[in-house]
Amino acid sequence: MTVTFPQKGLPWLLLLPQLLVTAIFFLWPAEQALEQAFYQEDAFGLSREFVGLENFVYLFTDPLYYQSMLTTLVFSFSVAIMGMSVALFLAVMADRVIRGKLTYQTLLIWPYAVAPALAGVLWWILFDPSMGPIALWLGSAGVDWNHYLDGNQAMILVVIASTWKQISYNFLFFLAGLQAVPRSLIEAASIDGASPVKRFWTIVFPLLSPTTFFLLVVNLVYAFFETFGVIDATTKGGPGQSTNTLVYKVFEDGFIGLDLGGSAAQSVVLMAIVGVLTVIQFRFIERKVQYS
Amino acid sequence: MSDVVLKNIGKTYLNGFCAIPSMDLTIEEGEFIVLVGPSGCGKSTLLRMVAGLESITQGDLLIKGNKVNEKEPADRDIAMVFQNYALYPHMSVYGNMSYGLKNRGTSKAVIAEKVNAVATMLGLEELLERKPRELSGGQRQRVAMGRAMVRDPKVFLFDEPLSNLDAKLRVQMRMEIRQLQRKLGTTTLYVTHDQVEAMTLADRLVVLNKGVAEQIGTPMDLYNKPATPFVAAFIGSPSMNLFDANLTEKGVSLSESLYLPLPHAHRGSIVWGIRPEHLAIVDEQDADFALEILAVESLGAETLVHGVLKDGSVQGKAMVVRLAGPHNPELNSLLWLSAPATHWHIFDAITQQRL
Ligand SMILES: Nc1ncnc2c1ncn2[C@@H]1O[C@H](COP(=O)(O)OP(=O)(O)OP(=O)(O)O)[C@@H](O)[C@H]1O
Ligand SMILES: [Mg+2]
Repeated sequence: MTVTFPQKGLPWLLLLPQLLVTAIFFLWPAEQALEQAFYQEDAFGLSREFVGLENFVYLFTDPLYYQSMLTTLVFSFSVAIMGMSVALFLAVMADRVIRGKLTYQTLLIWPYAVAPALAGVLWWILFDPSMGPIALWLGSAGVDWNHYLDGNQAMILVVIASTWKQISYNFLFFLAGLQAVPRSLIEAASIDGASPVKRFWTIVFPLLSPTTFFLLVVNLVYAFFETFGVIDATTKGGPGQSTNTLVYKVFEDGFIGLDLGGSAAQSVVLMAIVGVLTVIQFRFIERKVQYS
Repeated sequence: MSDVVLKNIGKTYLNGFCAIPSMDLTIEEGEFIVLVGPSGCGKSTLLRMVAGLESITQGDLLIKGNKVNEKEPADRDIAMVFQNYALYPHMSVYGNMSYGLKNRGTSKAVIAEKVNAVATMLGLEELLERKPRELSGGQRQRVAMGRAMVRDPKVFLFDEPLSNLDAKLRVQMRMEIRQLQRKLGTTTLYVTHDQVEAMTLADRLVVLNKGVAEQIGTPMDLYNKPATPFVAAFIGSPSMNLFDANLTEKGVSLSESLYLPLPHAHRGSIVWGIRPEHLAIVDEQDADFALEILAVESLGAETLVHGVLKDGSVQGKAMVVRLAGPHNPELNSLLWLSAPATHWHIFDAITQQRL
């Protein structure tokens, strides 16, 4: 359907707020970062000097940057895989429930409404080594929990805290996906002698693959770029570099280390990664696998 | 030995709806039974209970003498063909046909042999590598049948397998199913709401109405001696002409002024019927009644004449006459008809049973 406006100006006027927001909060900072990446600035922001690609050269020769990349990959795939597995499990259960279905599903959607930083604080309290209930319970079970000292435990904490919220989102998509699997296929498989577990892995799971792939990309993007709040509220990238993801490092190097040029160069790299992931996602959505 | 026995089988759904009150049916080995009835009468429910996809809430189901009420579908040794075929979309034709055998731990060599044999029988050899979405409706239908056949089950179950095909293909597949079933000799339970399909396929027909078997018998039994007005109207196309009437000492009274003489002991309200093909055009003096012609359908081999009875009553009663070959009677003219008493069907209006 095409809507025709009487005046040429009206559509632009209606679009203006959105365009302004995009310009002020996305385009302008992006341009600033791009520019900043080629300068070296003093700590007080009083003077700066054009240094060409020096910031990038420095970045790509810094072993800490590669370590952060590895941390990000481990973190992101852990979040994506854990979030999707738990959500899929819950969705399969929810799909079977007959009574009280709505209550169950609504409860599972709630976490999505909690702000990431708040969720971070929540998990931070639960896992606090000296008074957090989960940490104490783990202690009584013989696990010495202290994510301030143990890098692996810190990673587990940020993964759990970040995954938690994403489960609701994944759950909704998996549930919709499951409900779209024709009942007669499951019935045919059960007549064909497949056990419930076998039916799931040979029929249902393959049919969910479009949903699974879509969610994988979405979850990776989320873990890459939207987990700053969670990390800041729980581990602040530590201990050492163990939870310092690429996005957190931009903040840390820029605002704490005051290396604005280096931080800007990192932002530019991140922008490139976002670009690539977006292209993958759009490509995928365009020729989405369709079963009928 | 009887193959499948339904003893006092009943189904009440979880929401309290009673789809099948109680049903008895004994199916002999190799018999082709068709369940037929209007939409919502419980055909699929009954079939799915035999398949094990729907729980049985009353009575016993025996297959080869064993009670299978509580058995999983996989353990009943049945195979089912679904209305939408239910082919696994992500598997090739070969994958679809071999899935059931694979799940039962059959060796690869045996699977290949069986699948290839069935594929040859159904003319699917060229299509084994294709995915279901790359097949035509008729080919999908064949694959669905192939999937049922490879396992060589004791019982075939079909739920309206032809309803997604066009009319011509439907006739062709109907013949194929019948021939295959004869060849394999597998006991078959087949659901349809199409009475032509039912008549042509069945050894015996079960006419269902609101979950109750109105009549069970061979197609010709049901055509010649329908037990109830429901069966009379359901079997045969176009439907039998049925009229509310009275049996009096003067004969069948279709209206105050129209009597068909018949000596009959019974008196009272009846339903009187005659099939469209049993009415004959005669001269005015030999006629039982006249039909005012409202519409003519010429089908080439036969002609259907729709009209109303001219019996003096204000609102005419609708009637269809089926004439062999082409005819071209004038609209609004009168057609003089005789209704030979040997072809009458008379039912009690209250008990709805044949008299
Ligand atoms: N799961 C269910 N819960 C409650 N009632 C049901 C359920 N499934 C079917 N019914 C009811 O049982 C009756 C019989 O349904 P069934 O599907 O057996 O009809 P059918 O004869 O196969 O009809 P059609 O020709 O339309 O397929 C219908 O009135 C239907 O509404
Ligand atoms: Mg049905």
